[in-house]
Amino acid sequence: MNLELLAVAVMAGAANWAFRVLPTRARTDRLQPGGLLERFLSATGPAAIATLFVAAILPSLAVEVSRLLPVLVGTAAVIAVYLSRRSVVLATLAGALAHGLVVWALG
Amino acid sequence: MTRPAFLDGLTASLPIVIGYFPIAFSFGVAATRAGFSGVEAFALSLIIYAGASQFLALALLTSGAPVLVSAVTLIAMNLRHVLYGPALMRATGKDASTKRAWVWAFGLTDEVFGQALGALARGQRFSESYMFGLGIGAYASWLAGTAAGAAAGGGALEGWPAVSAGLGFMLPALFLALLLSILSRPKVPVIAVAGLVTVGGTLLVSATTGILAGILSGMAAGAVTGLARR
Repeated sequence: MNLELLAVAVMAGAANWAFRVLPTRARTDRLQPGGLLERFLSATGPAAIATLFVAAILPSLAVEVSRLLPVLVGTAAVIAVYLSRRSVVLATLAGALAHGLVVWALG
Repeated sequence: MTRPAFLDGLTASLPIVIGYFPIAFSFGVAATRAGFSGVEAFALSLIIYAGASQFLALALLTSGAPVLVSAVTLIAMNLRHVLYGPALMRATGKDASTKRAWVWAFGLTDEVFGQALGALARGQRFSESYMFGLGIGAYASWLAGTAAGAAAGGGALEGWPAVSAGLGFMLPALFLALLLSILSRPKVPVIAVAGLVTVGGTLLVSATTGILAGILSGMAAGAVTGLARR
Protein backbone atom coordinates (compact mmCIF):
# COMPACT_ATOMS: atom_id res chain seq x y z
CA MET A 1 0.00 0.00 0.00
CA ASN A 2 1.34 3.40 -1.06
CA LEU A 3 1.75 5.37 2.20
CA GLU A 4 1.34 8.77 0.54
CA LEU A 5 -1.97 7.64 -0.94
CA LEU A 6 -3.10 6.35 2.44
CA ALA A 7 -2.16 9.63 4.17
CA VAL A 8 -4.07 11.73 1.59
CA ALA A 9 -7.07 9.37 1.78
CA VAL A 10 -7.20 9.47 5.60
CA MET A 11 -6.97 13.29 5.75
CA ALA A 12 -9.57 13.82 3.01
CA GLY A 13 -11.81 11.09 4.44
CA ALA A 14 -11.66 12.54 7.96
CA ALA A 15 -12.57 15.98 6.63
CA ASN A 16 -15.45 14.49 4.62
CA TRP A 17 -16.74 12.77 7.75
CA ALA A 18 -16.56 16.04 9.71
CA PHE A 19 -18.22 18.07 6.90
CA ARG A 20 -21.08 15.58 6.59
CA VAL A 21 -21.64 14.55 10.21
CA LEU A 22 -20.98 17.52 12.48
CA PRO A 23 -23.40 19.99 10.79
CA THR A 24 -26.31 17.55 11.42
CA ARG A 25 -25.93 18.55 15.10
CA ALA A 26 -26.61 22.22 14.34
CA ARG A 27 -30.27 22.67 15.35
CA THR A 28 -31.11 25.40 12.87
CA ASP A 29 -34.83 24.70 13.31
CA ARG A 30 -34.57 26.94 16.39
CA LEU A 31 -33.94 29.96 14.16
CA GLN A 32 -36.52 32.74 13.99
CA PRO A 33 -39.16 31.67 11.43
CA GLY A 34 -39.04 33.81 8.30
CA GLY A 35 -35.76 35.45 9.34
CA LEU A 36 -32.97 36.15 6.85
CA LEU A 37 -30.75 33.25 8.02
CA GLU A 38 -33.74 30.89 8.09
CA ARG A 39 -34.61 31.76 4.48
CA PHE A 40 -30.94 31.46 3.46
CA LEU A 41 -30.64 27.94 4.90
CA SER A 42 -34.05 26.83 3.60
CA ALA A 43 -32.82 27.44 0.06
CA THR A 44 -29.85 25.03 0.45
CA GLY A 45 -31.67 22.01 -1.03
CA PRO A 46 -32.95 23.51 -4.29
CA ALA A 47 -29.75 25.56 -4.72
CA ALA A 48 -27.52 22.50 -4.25
CA ILE A 49 -29.54 20.19 -6.52
CA ALA A 50 -29.80 22.85 -9.28
CA THR A 51 -26.06 23.51 -9.03
CA LEU A 52 -25.14 19.82 -9.16
CA PHE A 53 -27.39 19.23 -12.19
CA VAL A 54 -25.78 22.12 -14.08
CA ALA A 55 -22.27 21.03 -13.03
CA ALA A 56 -22.99 17.45 -14.14
CA ILE A 57 -24.43 18.38 -17.53
CA LEU A 58 -22.08 21.26 -18.39
CA PRO A 59 -19.13 19.14 -19.61
CA SER A 60 -21.38 17.31 -22.11
CA LEU A 61 -22.71 20.49 -23.74
CA ALA A 62 -21.02 21.16 -27.08
CA VAL A 63 -21.77 22.66 -30.47
CA GLU A 64 -21.45 19.35 -32.32
CA VAL A 65 -24.83 17.71 -32.93
CA SER A 66 -23.41 14.25 -32.16
CA ARG A 67 -22.63 15.34 -28.59
CA LEU A 68 -25.54 17.73 -28.00
CA LEU A 69 -28.40 15.62 -29.36
CA PRO A 70 -28.05 12.74 -26.85
CA VAL A 71 -28.05 15.28 -23.99
CA LEU A 72 -31.16 17.04 -25.31
CA VAL A 73 -33.06 13.79 -25.92
CA GLY A 74 -31.98 12.37 -22.55
CA THR A 75 -33.08 15.56 -20.77
CA ALA A 76 -36.43 15.56 -22.59
CA ALA A 77 -36.95 11.90 -21.64
CA VAL A 78 -36.32 12.63 -17.94
CA ILE A 79 -38.82 15.52 -17.98
CA ALA A 80 -41.47 13.59 -19.95
CA VAL A 81 -41.28 10.45 -17.79
CA TYR A 82 -41.18 12.40 -14.52
CA LEU A 83 -44.22 14.47 -15.50
CA SER A 84 -46.20 11.41 -16.58
CA ARG A 85 -45.14 8.92 -13.84
CA ARG A 86 -43.86 11.15 -10.97
CA SER A 87 -41.07 8.63 -10.36
CA VAL A 88 -37.44 9.65 -9.85
CA VAL A 89 -36.26 6.09 -10.55
CA LEU A 90 -38.14 5.68 -13.85
CA ALA A 91 -37.25 9.19 -15.03
CA THR A 92 -33.54 8.59 -14.34
CA LEU A 93 -33.51 5.25 -16.13
CA ALA A 94 -35.48 6.64 -19.10
CA GLY A 95 -33.04 9.54 -19.45
CA ALA A 96 -29.97 7.27 -19.44
CA LEU A 97 -31.61 4.82 -21.86
CA ALA A 98 -32.67 7.58 -24.28
CA HIS A 99 -29.19 9.11 -24.13
CA GLY A 100 -27.49 5.78 -24.83
CA LEU A 101 -29.88 4.96 -27.69
CA VAL A 102 -29.22 8.28 -29.45
CA VAL A 103 -25.45 7.74 -29.12
CA TRP A 104 -25.90 4.25 -30.58
CA ALA A 105 -28.16 5.55 -33.42
CA LEU A 106 -25.67 8.28 -34.33
CA GLY A 107 -22.98 5.64 -34.49
CA MET B 1 -33.84 -0.35 13.66
CA THR B 2 -37.29 -0.88 12.13
CA ARG B 3 -37.19 -3.08 9.06
CA PRO B 4 -39.66 -1.23 6.78
CA ALA B 5 -37.93 2.16 7.12
CA PHE B 6 -34.54 0.59 6.41
CA LEU B 7 -35.97 -1.21 3.38
CA ASP B 8 -37.70 1.98 2.21
CA GLY B 9 -34.33 3.70 2.31
CA LEU B 10 -32.65 0.84 0.50
CA THR B 11 -35.33 0.93 -2.22
CA ALA B 12 -34.98 4.69 -2.55
CA SER B 13 -31.25 4.22 -3.09
CA LEU B 14 -31.90 2.29 -6.34
CA PRO B 15 -31.33 5.17 -8.80
CA ILE B 16 -28.17 6.09 -6.90
CA VAL B 17 -27.01 2.47 -6.92
CA ILE B 18 -27.50 2.34 -10.70
CA GLY B 19 -25.86 5.73 -11.16
CA TYR B 20 -22.90 5.11 -8.85
CA PHE B 21 -21.82 1.72 -10.14
CA PRO B 22 -20.59 2.83 -13.59
CA ILE B 23 -18.89 5.93 -12.20
CA ALA B 24 -17.12 3.91 -9.51
CA PHE B 25 -16.31 1.35 -12.21
CA SER B 26 -14.66 4.11 -14.27
CA PHE B 27 -12.76 5.17 -11.16
CA GLY B 28 -11.47 1.64 -10.58
CA VAL B 29 -10.37 1.47 -14.23
CA ALA B 30 -8.69 4.91 -14.05
CA ALA B 31 -6.89 4.05 -10.80
CA THR B 32 -5.39 0.84 -12.14
CA ARG B 33 -4.50 2.60 -15.40
CA ALA B 34 -2.67 5.25 -13.31
CA GLY B 35 -0.59 2.51 -11.74
CA PHE B 36 -2.38 1.94 -8.43
CA SER B 37 -3.30 -1.52 -7.23
CA GLY B 38 -6.86 -2.74 -6.85
CA VAL B 39 -6.53 -2.57 -3.06
CA GLU B 40 -5.36 1.06 -3.25
CA ALA B 41 -8.26 2.01 -5.54
CA PHE B 42 -10.69 0.32 -3.16
CA ALA B 43 -9.10 2.08 -0.16
CA LEU B 44 -9.66 5.49 -1.78
CA SER B 45 -13.36 4.69 -2.32
CA LEU B 46 -13.73 3.24 1.17
CA ILE B 47 -12.06 6.12 3.02
CA ILE B 48 -12.76 9.23 0.91
CA TYR B 49 -16.12 8.22 -0.65
CA ALA B 50 -16.47 11.31 -2.86
CA GLY B 51 -16.33 10.78 -6.61
CA ALA B 52 -14.86 13.94 -8.06
CA SER B 53 -12.21 14.27 -5.37
CA GLN B 54 -11.14 10.65 -5.85
CA PHE B 55 -10.48 11.27 -9.56
CA LEU B 56 -8.60 14.42 -8.57
CA ALA B 57 -6.63 12.42 -5.98
CA LEU B 58 -5.37 10.14 -8.78
CA ALA B 59 -4.20 13.15 -10.78
CA LEU B 60 -2.52 14.77 -7.77
CA LEU B 61 -0.80 11.61 -6.54
CA THR B 62 0.50 10.61 -9.96
CA SER B 63 1.77 14.15 -10.65
CA GLY B 64 3.85 14.00 -7.48
CA ALA B 65 2.04 16.81 -5.63
CA PRO B 66 3.02 17.02 -1.90
CA VAL B 67 0.76 15.05 0.45
CA LEU B 68 -0.46 18.10 2.35
CA VAL B 69 -1.22 20.10 -0.81
CA SER B 70 -3.15 17.13 -2.22
CA ALA B 71 -5.14 16.65 1.00
CA VAL B 72 -6.01 20.36 1.33
CA THR B 73 -7.14 20.48 -2.32
CA LEU B 74 -9.43 17.48 -1.85
CA ILE B 75 -10.79 18.88 1.43
CA ALA B 76 -11.60 22.25 -0.21
CA MET B 77 -13.46 20.42 -2.96
CA ASN B 78 -15.88 18.87 -0.48
CA LEU B 79 -16.52 21.94 1.65
CA ARG B 80 -20.03 22.22 0.17
CA HIS B 81 -21.08 19.18 2.20
CA VAL B 82 -21.22 21.28 5.39
CA LEU B 83 -24.46 22.78 4.06
CA TYR B 84 -26.27 19.46 3.65
CA GLY B 85 -26.65 18.36 7.29
CA PRO B 86 -28.46 21.49 8.48
CA ALA B 87 -30.65 21.57 5.33
CA LEU B 88 -31.68 17.95 5.81
CA MET B 89 -32.37 18.34 9.53
CA ARG B 90 -34.51 21.41 8.85
CA ALA B 91 -36.61 19.38 6.44
CA THR B 92 -37.05 16.58 9.01
CA GLY B 93 -38.39 18.79 11.79
CA LYS B 94 -37.10 19.42 15.29
CA ASP B 95 -37.98 16.01 16.78
CA ALA B 96 -35.77 14.04 14.38
CA SER B 97 -33.11 11.96 16.10
CA THR B 98 -29.46 12.38 15.15
CA LYS B 99 -28.09 9.92 17.72
CA ARG B 100 -26.55 7.67 15.07
CA ALA B 101 -25.77 10.44 12.60
CA TRP B 102 -22.06 9.91 13.30
CA VAL B 103 -22.42 6.75 11.19
CA TRP B 104 -25.13 7.40 8.56
CA ALA B 105 -24.21 11.02 7.85
CA PHE B 106 -20.82 9.92 6.45
CA GLY B 107 -22.94 8.67 3.56
CA LEU B 108 -24.49 12.09 2.97
CA THR B 109 -23.10 12.55 -0.54
CA ASP B 110 -24.59 14.97 -3.08
CA GLU B 111 -26.91 12.30 -4.46
CA VAL B 112 -27.94 10.82 -1.10
CA PHE B 113 -28.70 14.32 0.19
CA GLY B 114 -30.75 15.13 -2.91
CA GLN B 115 -32.65 11.85 -2.78
CA ALA B 116 -33.38 12.22 0.97
CA LEU B 117 -34.60 15.79 0.52
CA GLY B 118 -36.77 14.81 -2.46
CA ALA B 119 -38.26 11.88 -0.52
CA LEU B 120 -39.08 14.11 2.46
CA ALA B 121 -40.73 16.61 0.09
CA ARG B 122 -42.85 13.75 -1.30
CA GLY B 123 -44.04 12.80 2.21
CA GLN B 124 -41.46 10.23 3.34
CA ARG B 125 -41.17 10.15 7.17
CA PHE B 126 -37.60 10.75 8.35
CA SER B 127 -35.88 8.11 10.44
CA GLU B 128 -32.29 7.14 11.01
CA SER B 129 -33.12 3.64 9.76
CA TYR B 130 -34.29 5.15 6.45
CA MET B 131 -31.02 7.08 6.17
CA PHE B 132 -29.04 3.91 6.90
CA GLY B 133 -30.87 2.07 4.11
CA LEU B 134 -30.39 4.90 1.64
CA GLY B 135 -26.74 5.36 2.56
CA ILE B 136 -25.75 1.69 2.62
CA GLY B 137 -27.21 1.03 -0.85
CA ALA B 138 -25.24 3.93 -2.31
CA TYR B 139 -21.99 3.13 -0.44
CA ALA B 140 -22.14 -0.58 -1.35
CA SER B 141 -22.65 0.29 -5.01
CA TRP B 142 -19.70 2.71 -4.92
CA LEU B 143 -17.41 0.09 -3.40
CA ALA B 144 -18.62 -2.73 -5.66
CA GLY B 145 -18.21 -0.54 -8.75
CA THR B 146 -14.66 0.39 -7.75
CA ALA B 147 -13.73 -3.24 -7.14
CA ALA B 148 -15.26 -4.35 -10.45
CA GLY B 149 -13.50 -1.53 -12.35
CA ALA B 150 -10.14 -2.31 -10.74
CA ALA B 151 -10.59 -6.00 -11.56
CA ALA B 152 -11.60 -5.29 -15.18
CA GLY B 153 -8.63 -2.98 -15.74
CA GLY B 154 -8.17 -0.30 -18.42
CA GLY B 155 -10.33 -0.16 -21.54
CA ALA B 156 -13.18 -2.28 -20.18
CA LEU B 157 -15.94 -0.16 -21.76
CA GLU B 158 -14.02 0.98 -24.84
CA GLY B 159 -15.90 -1.42 -27.15
CA TRP B 160 -19.30 -0.23 -25.87
CA PRO B 161 -19.51 3.56 -26.44
CA ALA B 162 -23.34 3.75 -26.31
CA VAL B 163 -23.50 1.83 -23.02
CA SER B 164 -20.70 3.96 -21.62
CA ALA B 165 -22.49 7.17 -22.73
CA GLY B 166 -25.85 6.08 -21.31
CA LEU B 167 -24.30 5.16 -17.99
CA GLY B 168 -22.41 8.46 -17.95
CA PHE B 169 -25.72 10.33 -18.30
CA MET B 170 -27.17 8.58 -15.25
CA LEU B 171 -26.10 11.22 -12.73
CA PRO B 172 -27.25 14.32 -14.67
CA ALA B 173 -30.55 12.46 -15.22
CA LEU B 174 -30.83 11.71 -11.51
CA PHE B 175 -30.16 15.32 -10.50
CA LEU B 176 -32.72 16.57 -13.03
CA ALA B 177 -35.35 14.11 -11.76
CA LEU B 178 -34.61 15.17 -8.17
CA LEU B 179 -34.89 18.82 -9.19
CA LEU B 180 -38.30 18.16 -10.77
CA SER B 181 -39.41 16.34 -7.61
CA ILE B 182 -38.80 19.39 -5.38
CA LEU B 183 -39.83 22.02 -7.92
CA SER B 184 -42.32 24.68 -6.84
CA ARG B 185 -42.92 28.29 -7.86
CA PRO B 186 -41.09 29.93 -4.87
CA LYS B 187 -37.98 27.83 -5.63
CA VAL B 188 -37.67 29.01 -9.26
CA PRO B 189 -35.49 32.10 -8.50
CA VAL B 190 -33.21 29.96 -6.29
CA ILE B 191 -32.79 27.34 -9.03
CA ALA B 192 -32.29 29.93 -11.79
CA VAL B 193 -29.65 31.92 -9.89
CA ALA B 194 -27.82 28.78 -8.72
CA GLY B 195 -27.74 27.41 -12.28
CA LEU B 196 -26.54 30.63 -13.92
CA VAL B 197 -23.82 31.28 -11.32
CA THR B 198 -22.61 27.68 -11.63
CA VAL B 199 -22.18 28.16 -15.39
CA GLY B 200 -20.35 31.48 -14.89
CA GLY B 201 -18.13 30.22 -12.06
CA THR B 202 -17.22 27.03 -13.93
CA LEU B 203 -16.40 28.79 -17.21
CA LEU B 204 -14.52 31.70 -15.62
CA VAL B 205 -12.69 29.99 -12.73
CA SER B 206 -13.10 26.24 -12.12
CA ALA B 207 -15.72 23.52 -11.62
CA THR B 208 -15.20 23.53 -7.83
CA THR B 209 -15.63 27.31 -7.64
CA GLY B 210 -18.70 27.08 -9.87
CA ILE B 211 -20.34 24.53 -7.56
CA LEU B 212 -19.62 26.41 -4.32
CA ALA B 213 -20.58 29.80 -5.80
CA GLY B 214 -23.71 28.29 -7.37
CA ILE B 215 -25.00 26.85 -4.09
CA LEU B 216 -24.20 29.97 -2.05
CA SER B 217 -25.71 32.39 -4.58
CA GLY B 218 -28.84 30.23 -4.85
CA MET B 219 -29.15 30.37 -1.06
CA ALA B 220 -28.67 34.14 -1.15
CA ALA B 221 -31.42 34.37 -3.77
CA GLY B 222 -33.64 32.33 -1.46
CA ALA B 223 -32.95 34.73 1.42
CA VAL B 224 -33.70 37.77 -0.73
CA THR B 225 -36.83 36.45 -2.41
CA GLY B 226 -38.20 35.18 0.87
CA LEU B 227 -38.37 31.48 0.25
CA ALA B 228 -40.11 30.57 3.48
CA ARG B 229 -39.91 27.22 5.14
CA ARG B 230 -42.64 24.90 3.94
